[in-house]
Amino acid sequence: MRTKNRLQRLIQVRELPLLAFIVLLIIFFSITIKGFMTVQNFAMISRQITTVGIVSIGMTLVLVTGGIDLSVGAILSFAINIGGLLIIRGLPIAITYPFILLLGAIMGTINGLLIVWLKVPAIIVTLGTMNIFRGAIMIITRGKYMTQIPDGYLWIGSGYTPFVIFVILLVIFEFTLRRTRFGRNIVAIGSNEQSALYSGVPVNWFKILVYLLSGIFSALAGIIFIGRSGFIQPQAGIGYEMNSIAAVVIGGTSIYGGSGTIIGTFLGSFLMGLILAGITMLAVNAYWQGVINGLLIILAISFDTLRQMRRE
Amino acid sequence: MIAVHNVSKEFPGVRALDEVSFNVKRGEVHGLVGENGAGKSTIVKILSGIYTDYDGEILVNGNPIAFHSVRDAQDSGIATVFQELSVVKDLNVAENIFLGREPLKRGGIIDRTLMNQRTLEVMEFLDEPMPVNEMVGNLSVASQQIVEICKALVTNPKVIIMDEPTSSLTEKEVAQLYKIIGQLRDRGVTIIYVSHKLAEIFTICDSITVFRDGKHIDTVPTTETDSEKIIQMMVGRTLKMLFPPRSVKPSDEVLLAVHDISRSGEFENVSFDLKRGEILGFAGLIGAGRSELAKAIFGATRLSSGELEINGSGGKRFNHPREAFQNGISYLPEDRKGEGLLLQASIKENMTLAILKKLKLSKTRSERRERRLVKKYAEDLQVKMVSIDQIIEMLSGGNQQKVIVARLLMTESSVYIFDEPTRGIDVGAKYEIYKIMNELTEQGKGIIFISSELPEVLGVSDRIACMREGQLVRIFSQADANPEAIMRVLAGGDA
Amino acid sequence: MEGISLERRKFRLPISMVGLILFNVLLFIGLSILSPTFLTLRNMRSLMVRMSELAMLTFAQTLVLINGGMDLTVGSAMALSGTIAGMLFKVGAHPVIAVLGALVTGIVIGTLNGFLVVHLKIDSFIATVATNSILRSVVYLLLRGRVLSGFPKNYVLLGSVNLLGIPLLFVLVIVFAIILHFFLRKTALGRSVYAVGANINCAHISGIDTNFVKYFVFVASGLLSAIGGVFYTIRIGAMIPDAGLNSPLEVVTAALIGGASVKGGKGSIFGSLLGILAMYVLINGFNLLGFNPFWEVVLLGIVLITIVGQSSMKKVVKMSRASRRGRAA
Repeated sequence: MRTKNRLQRLIQVRELPLLAFIVLLIIFFSITIKGFMTVQNFAMISRQITTVGIVSIGMTLVLVTGGIDLSVGAILSFAINIGGLLIIRGLPIAITYPFILLLGAIMGTINGLLIVWLKVPAIIVTLGTMNIFRGAIMIITRGKYMTQIPDGYLWIGSGYTPFVIFVILLVIFEFTLRRTRFGRNIVAIGSNEQSALYSGVPVNWFKILVYLLSGIFSALAGIIFIGRSGFIQPQAGIGYEMNSIAAVVIGGTSIYGGSGTIIGTFLGSFLMGLILAGITMLAVNAYWQGVINGLLIILAISFDTLRQMRRE
Repeated sequence: MIAVHNVSKEFPGVRALDEVSFNVKRGEVHGLVGENGAGKSTIVKILSGIYTDYDGEILVNGNPIAFHSVRDAQDSGIATVFQELSVVKDLNVAENIFLGREPLKRGGIIDRTLMNQRTLEVMEFLDEPMPVNEMVGNLSVASQQIVEICKALVTNPKVIIMDEPTSSLTEKEVAQLYKIIGQLRDRGVTIIYVSHKLAEIFTICDSITVFRDGKHIDTVPTTETDSEKIIQMMVGRTLKMLFPPRSVKPSDEVLLAVHDISRSGEFENVSFDLKRGEILGFAGLIGAGRSELAKAIFGATRLSSGELEINGSGGKRFNHPREAFQNGISYLPEDRKGEGLLLQASIKENMTLAILKKLKLSKTRSERRERRLVKKYAEDLQVKMVSIDQIIEMLSGGNQQKVIVARLLMTESSVYIFDEPTRGIDVGAKYEIYKIMNELTEQGKGIIFISSELPEVLGVSDRIACMREGQLVRIFSQADANPEAIMRVLAGGDA
Repeated sequence: MEGISLERRKFRLPISMVGLILFNVLLFIGLSILSPTFLTLRNMRSLMVRMSELAMLTFAQTLVLINGGMDLTVGSAMALSGTIAGMLFKVGAHPVIAVLGALVTGIVIGTLNGFLVVHLKIDSFIATVATNSILRSVVYLLLRGRVLSGFPKNYVLLGSVNLLGIPLLFVLVIVFAIILHFFLRKTALGRSVYAVGANINCAHISGIDTNFVKYFVFVASGLLSAIGGVFYTIRIGAMIPDAGLNSPLEVVTAALIGGASVKGGKGSIFGSLLGILAMYVLINGFNLLGFNPFWEVVLLGIVLITIVGQSSMKKVVKMSRASRRGRAA
C-alpha cells in the first residue's frame, strides 16, 4: 500500500517527463555521435553547466517567491571585477574569495531592500540595479581585462571541482526548499503572500534573504568563472539572467511563484548543457543552441499549462 | 471577555465604523449581523490584527490591547477564519495549518513527524480526517475551509472569529461546522460568528450584535428576540420605505426567452422568460449557479447546450459579450473591482468602455461629444464626483457602481442583467440603484436581478426565480412569494 | 464655471510628464553651457539619426507595456528584419521589395509572439525570452556570425537626407509618434489597448475582443521593430549580428521613465519619446564632456528605480495620510 502510494506520487512528479527526455536525448546522441558516451565528454558538460547552474539555484528561490532577478549576471561581473582588483594585487585567496562573496551578498541585499521598501516590482528594481552594477564595473575597471590571475584561482574551475560544488549546493537547497521553515515559507509567499503575512511568516525578511542568496550564488558562479577562464573580463555574465531563467522554467518552476524544485532546475541546466554539447559534436552550427533553448522553454511551459488544465 | 469601546475606523470617503461599543462574554457564541457595508468586516479586521490603525479601545479580559499584526492577535488568543480563503494552495494540509508556526528541529528544519501528528490531533473532531500530505490546491473548497478552521484551532485560541464561514459550504458541511462550534463552546472557547444569514445566527448563537451603517445598533440575547426584530434593526426602516414604488406593470410581451440552457458543471436545463418592463429576481445561495448562468447568457462564457430567443428571433447563443451587446443584452458583473472597473482610469474612460466603436473617436469633435455624453449620464444618475476626469478609484462604491450602470445604459440595451448591483454600497446608493431599475422598466426594458439579499429580491422583483445547485427550481410570482417559502426552496425543501 | 475648468483640463499634462520635459530642457541647457559642441547643428543631427531606430523600438515596447505585457524580442526582431532586407539586397531585389521583406518579417514575428501569448497562454515576458533566443540564433545562423554589408548606396544615403534641415529618419520617427499617439487616443482599438492592460476581465465583459487586441499589439510591435531594423540598416549601412542585443531592456527603461507601467494600462507615446530622448542626450552629453559613458547607464538605473519607486511611495504616503486624517476626525 505504502509503496504503491509512493509509486503513484512518483509518477505525478513534474520532473519525470524531463528526465525521460534527457535519457532519450543521451541515447540519441550516443548513437549518432562517436565518443559522446565518454567520461571526458560528461566531465566537460558538467563543467559547462556549473556557472549558470549555480546562478539558477538562486534564481529558483527568487522565482518561487514570485519575484525575478535580472541582475544576476551584473552581480557576477561586478563581484569578480572588483574582487579582481584585489586578486591582481596579490592578496591571498582567504581574503579575496570571502570578499567576492560579500560583494554578491551586499548587492543581493540591496535588491531585496529596494523591493521590500519601495514596493516596486522586482523586475524593475533588478532591471535598474543591473544597469547600475554594469555601469559601475565599466567606470571602475575602465573596461580592462585582468589576465594576471595566479594559478591558485584555477583549481576551483578545473576537473570535477565545479561540479562537486554545484551538486553539494543542489542537495543542500533541495533539502532547504522541501524541509525547512525557510523553504516552505518562501513557497507560501509565492503562492499567497497575504496569507503568509497573516500567518506570521516574516515575509519581508525572507524576501530579502532570497535576493541575498541569489547575490551570493552569482558571486560564487563568478569565482568559478575565473577558475575556468583564467581571466576576468567586464563582460562576464552577460546573458546569464536569461539563461538561468530558461533553465529554471524548463525545470518546471512557475514564474508566477509558489512552485518549483531545485532538482528540476538541475535537470533544466543539464538538458541545456547536453544539447549544447550534442550540437557542438555533431558539428552543427552552435547558433542552433538558441533556437533549441527557445523551443524548450515554449514546450516546457505549454506542457505545464496542459497539466494544470487537466488538474482543473 | 472582549470589550470594544468607542471604536471608529475611517477610510478615504467612508466612515466604516462609528464609535462602536459592545461586549462579548466568555464562552458564548456571539453572532455579528448586519447588511453588506454595515461594518462587520471592518471590526473583524480590527479584532484579528489586520487593521492596526483605528480610534477607540479594545479590552481583552479587562486589559487594553493593541495588535500590531495577525500573529500578535493570535498570540493573545484571538484567531480568525477569514471570509476569503487564505489557504496556500501549493502547500499541503499540515503545512498550511502550521504555516508560520512550524515545529522545528535544529537548524530550522521542520519536524514533520510532530507536525503531522499534531495535525491529526487537531482534526480529531472531524468524522473523516483529511490526508495531511495532500496539496491544499487539490482539495474541494469546503475542505479548504475546514483547513482554515483547523489553522485557527491549532493556535489554541480563547476566541475564534469566523467571518462568513459557511459561504462556500454545503448543507451537510454546515451541519458539521455547527457540531465543531458546539464542541468548541463546550471547551470554553468564545466564538464570534459573522454572518448575514439569520437562520444560521438563530441556530447557533447565544447573543446577537447588530451593526448598521458603521454603527452598533444593539446587542441582545437570542432568546429575547426574533428574526423580525433583528431584520428591523439591520435595515433600520420598514421594507416599504426601502424600495421605491413601481409605477408600471410588466407587459405580456416576451423580451428574452431562455430555452433549456446548460453549462457543464455550473447549471443545467434552465428555462425562463423575461417580459417587457419586468424585473425578474434571481434568489439562491452562494454557489447556486446564478452568476454562472448570467455570464453564459451574456456570452462571457460559453453555453454547452440550449439557446436564447430575443425579441422573437430564436436559436441564438453568444460566444462573446460583444455579440450580446449587439443583440441588446448587457451585464453588470458581480465582482466590481475584478471585472467591473478600470480602477486607475477616469470616470469618462470607464463609462464609455462598451461603446468605444460607436463614439467614432477619429471624427472631429469626438472628444467634445464624448464628454457631453458622459456628463449627461453622470448627471442623470447623480454620480457624485469632482469632474469626469477623476480617477474612478477615488469614488465611493455606490458611485463606482453608478458609473458601470451608465456604461450599460449607453449601450441602449433592452435586457439588463444586474448581478449583485448593490453589494458593498451604502443604503442611499442602493435606493438610487433601485430607482434606476424602476425607470428602466418604465422605458419597457427587462431586468434580470441577481441578489443574495432576500429582502431586496422580494422588494424589487415582479417574479422571483429560485436556483439551487445549478437548477432553476421554481419561479414565484410576487403574490405567493414570502421569505420563508423561498428559503425553504433555496435550502432544499419542497420545490 | 465647472464646464470651463473641465474643458481646460484637457490640455493639462500629467505631472510626471512635466517633470520629464523639464528634465530634458534642463539637460539641454546644461549641456549647451558646458559643451560648445553640443548645440551645433551637426551634433543635433547626428543625435537625431542615432536615436531613430531605438525610438521605433521604444514605441513598440510602449504599446505592449500599455497592453499589460512585455516584448523582449524588439531587438532581435530589428536585427532579423534588417538581415532579411540585406539578404534580399544581396540577391538584387528592388529596395521596395527588400523593405517589404523586412516589414513582413516583423509581422510574422509579432504573430508568433501573439500566438504564444494568446493561444498557448504563456506569460509574455517568458514567451518573448524564448522567441528572442530563437530569433537571435536565426540572425547568427543567417549571417554566420559575420557583418552583412553591401546595402545599396542610395539606400544608405537616405540616412543623411534632411527635410527642412531635420534628418529624414527623425522626421519619420516624429510622424510615427503622431500616428501612434492618435491611434491610442482617437480610435476604439487604441483605447481598447489601454483597457485590456488595465483590467482584462473588465475589457472582456465590456465587449472588447481582448484576444484580437493582444494579437494586434504584438503584430504592431513586430512591425515597428522591423521599421527600426530598416532605419538601422540605413543608418549603419550594414547589419551586425549583435545589433539590438541590449535594446529590449533599454527601451523598457525608456518607456517606464516615460510613464508606462509594467502592470499595464498606463503610458504614452510622447512620454516614451521623451524617455528615449533623455537617454540619448545623456549619452551624447557624457561623450562630449569626456565622462565615462557608463555613468549614463548607472544614472539610468537610478532614475528608473527612483521614478517608479517614488510613484509607489506617493501612494503609500497618501494612504497613511488618509488614515491619519481619519484618526484626527
